[in-house]
Parts: sequence; structure tokens; C-alpha cells
Amino acid sequence: MRGFWYGLLLQLKLDIRSKTLLITCYIVPLIFFLLIGGIFISVMPEMKSTLIQSMIVMNISMGAIIGLPPTLAETYGSDIQKVYKANGVPIYLGFVTIFLSTFVHLMISSSVIIILAPLIFKASLPAQLPYFFLGLTMYIIVALGIGGVLGLVVKNRAKLTMVSQLVFLPSIMLSGIMFPIDLLPNFLLIIGRIFPASWGYQLMLDNGFCFENVWYLILILALEVILCSVLLAKQKSK
Amino acid sequence: MIDAINVNELRKNYGTCEVLKGIEFKVKKGEIFALLGINGAGKTTTLEIIEGLRKYDSGTITVNGKIGIQLQSSSLPAHIKPMEAIKLFAKWNKEKIDYEMLKKLGIKEIEKKQYFELSTGQKRRLNLALALVGNPDIIFLDEPTAGLDVEGKLSLHEQIKCLKSEGKTIVLASHDMAEVEALCDRIAILNKGNIIFCGTVSELTENVGRKYFIHIKTELENQTIETNNIEDTLITLLGEFKHKKVKVLDIKVDRGSLEEHFVEIARREIK
Repeated sequence: MRGFWYGLLLQLKLDIRSKTLLITCYIVPLIFFLLIGGIFISVMPEMKSTLIQSMIVMNISMGAIIGLPPTLAETYGSDIQKVYKANGVPIYLGFVTIFLSTFVHLMISSSVIIILAPLIFKASLPAQLPYFFLGLTMYIIVALGIGGVLGLVVKNRAKLTMVSQLVFLPSIMLSGIMFPIDLLPNFLLIIGRIFPASWGYQLMLDNGFCFENVWYLILILALEVILCSVLLAKQKSK
Repeated sequence: MIDAINVNELRKNYGTCEVLKGIEFKVKKGEIFALLGINGAGKTTTLEIIEGLRKYDSGTITVNGKIGIQLQSSSLPAHIKPMEAIKLFAKWNKEKIDYEMLKKLGIKEIEKKQYFELSTGQKRRLNLALALVGNPDIIFLDEPTAGLDVEGKLSLHEQIKCLKSEGKTIVLASHDMAEVEALCDRIAILNKGNIIFCGTVSELTENVGRKYFIHIKTELENQTIETNNIEDTLITLLGEFKHKKVKVLDIKVDRGSLEEHFVEIARREIK
């Protein structure tokens, strides 16, 4: 177990050093929050009640879908996993530590948004904080699952960036965090509902933590667990 | 005495391509044993099967002792520092770190650098240190000096000799014949999935015949002549030079390197 905890702490340090996660989990989302948050509030003051949720969905989606996959691809698309295997480290360790480490980083950056939003933009805090944090935890895990699958499937860095963007952009544009989804045409509304970001956003809104908003995320999570297990087993048998 | 490694009738196919065709060899405890062969001969496949990193189709492999592995192509996360990698693997395997060994390998000098900042030689040293973390009895080194400069090679050779003097068994795969000749007690030559020779370097020399090489430097040109009979060849050559009134500047005779014997044995196999 000491090896596992050391691996996790080491991964947290490596993520900061690598700068990819530093940029996608902290720098870009926080700059986005400060700039776009200000614009949102001045254009639509009613967004004060949903600013925290929308900025957090943006933050998590970016960190998990764009930030996580390159780190995973570096580990599983190179000889790193062979070195781990040769030194008696199980194949899943890299995945689990990278997943947990990104989870911690996303929790920290989300907490920064929760603290700063009321101070800077007078945004309202979620009314039911425990449910909000449950929803937040659930969405982080589901979003990291998507990043996990992408990082294990696409090993080529250039392709990975493209595929990540293809998942990230509709997640953000069609989830309702940038503008109300009621304004979208019906087919875009349906496409938006395919991506977990819209479900995560609904889940974190006040009175949003209910089975109606949870079931889809549970289904996606189950699929992610199966897919990641199969992909890791495939890596092991190579 | 129990062998460190015993490989019997080992077979491996990649699809329809038979890479190992029932190879057999033994590695004695405490020796440096080399697997030689041209590219694609099956050296890395053989090593990785013995190391447990690759599956095989049939045969038996017995490994008596704890193993440490230095892979041919290896990598670590770009931003990891050498001591962090060593601690990770040591903690995971519940091993104590041998700081004396790390000092000998010069890890202390590079401990503040990140993996991507290390030179090829420093990466090789780190990989060797990782292979030695668990204080193994048998160490596998796959092309340990590939990409190193002369100084780096010599330094690694010293470290390998030092490991042998500590009683470790070393199995290495290499293209570098001079390295193998300088380091190894016994060698096995792999060719097209078969072991075509297994024994000491001097046994290999016997196997290909007592061949000598005469290097002659004259005022006109430099020549190398292959022969089994030094006396007769030299008399004939010197007679010819005297007859042509060509001045001989230098003459050297050697028994040929392992590389030349390897080429000879490979040539025979092709015929």
C-alpha cells in the first residue's frame, strides 16, 4: 500500500511539473472563469445563480477531456508501461494514480471557483452544498472516465488532441452552460444530451440531484468502467 | 551446481512466422552470458520471454533466482526524477534502496534532473539502477550500451564487471562484438530462430577454424590477408614484395575478432 500512496503523491507532483494538467486544470479554466464570468454577469445578471455550476462544468470538462488523455497516452502508448511491468508494478497503477491525481486537481480548482465566484461576481452559492458536492464528485468521475477511455484508445498525440476537442467542444457548447439550451434547435438539444456535461450541469443545479439527472451518468460510468477494464486487460496481454 | 537459467525447446510464433524454433541453452550461475545475433534474430524475444514479459508457445524455462531487467527500449514519465523512479519501484516491491550501488552508478550526480533532461548514457545508468533495485541474482541487459559514446560504454563495462565480481549472473543481448568479447564468459549465437553456436569465445574460434589475419602496410598500400598458415603466407608475401621491390613498412598478425568469426559462422549458415 505504501507503494500505491507514494505513486499517487508522485503523480500529483508530476502533473504540476508536466504543465499539461496545470494548464488544463488550473490556468485556462480560471482565466476563462475570470474573463467570461465577468462578461456573463454583466450581460445576463440572472446567471449569478448558475455561474459556479457552469464554470465548474467548463473546468472539469477541460481538465478531464483535454488534460488527462495525453498523460495516459504517454504512459500506455510508450515503453513506460513495459518498464513498470519489468519492475513488478501492475498495469493498472498508472491509470489509477493518474485518474486520482487529476480528480484531486479538479476538486481543488473547482473549490477555487466556489470560493472566488461569490467574492468577485457576487454569484450565489449552491443552496444545498452536500448535494452539490455529490453531483460535482459524480461529474468529475464520469468526465475523467471519458478522458480515460480516450487516453487508452488513441495513442497518437496529434489524433488525441483532435478527438479530445471533438468531445470537449460540443460538451461545452451544447450543455447549457454558455447559453440556455432552450434556445437550441431540437436536433442540437438531442446531441447535447448525449454528452455527460449537460447531465452534470443539471445535477449540480439547485434541486438538481435526483434520479432523473443521475441515471444517465451512472449508465455512462458503468460503460466507462467496462471499457477501461477491457482496454487495460488488452494492454496487459500485449 | 544448479544453472541460473535453463531453456529447453523454446518455441514462439508471431502469426505464421516462427521466431524461435525450439532453442535450448543454459546460463551458469555467476557468469556473463551473451545472446548474439543480427537484427530480427530473436534476441529480444528470447530475453523478454525468459523475463516473463512475453508469452511463448511451447518449451520450458527455469530461472533460479531473483531477476532484474534493463530493457532495450525503455522510457519513464518525462518529468520524473531518477530518485523518484527508484523509490517508486523500491516501495512497490518492498525493497530497501542500496545507496552504495546508486553512488557507484552515479545516480547522485543526476538526482535533480528530470528524465527528459538526461543524456542517453544517464538514462542507461538509471535503467541499470532500476534493474538493480531489488538486489537481483540474475540481471538481464538488452543492448546495454546502444547509443553510448566510448566513455559511456567503458564506464558501463566496468559496472557490469563489478556486478559479476559480486557474484551476479548477467545475461546480455548485444550487437557489439567487441563488447561481448571483452565481457562475456560464454555466448550463444541466434540465427533465424535457431541457436547456431553456444560456448566460449575460444570455442567459437576453434569452431570456425584457426584463422589468422595478416595486416601488411607497404609504401604502396595497406592489405589484410586471411590465412590458416601464417608461416607459408608470410614467406610467399614477402617474396612477392621483394621481387617487385616494394618496401614493407609494417606487419601485424592477429587471430581475428569475434565479429569476424560471427560473420564467418553466419555465412556458413546461409550456405
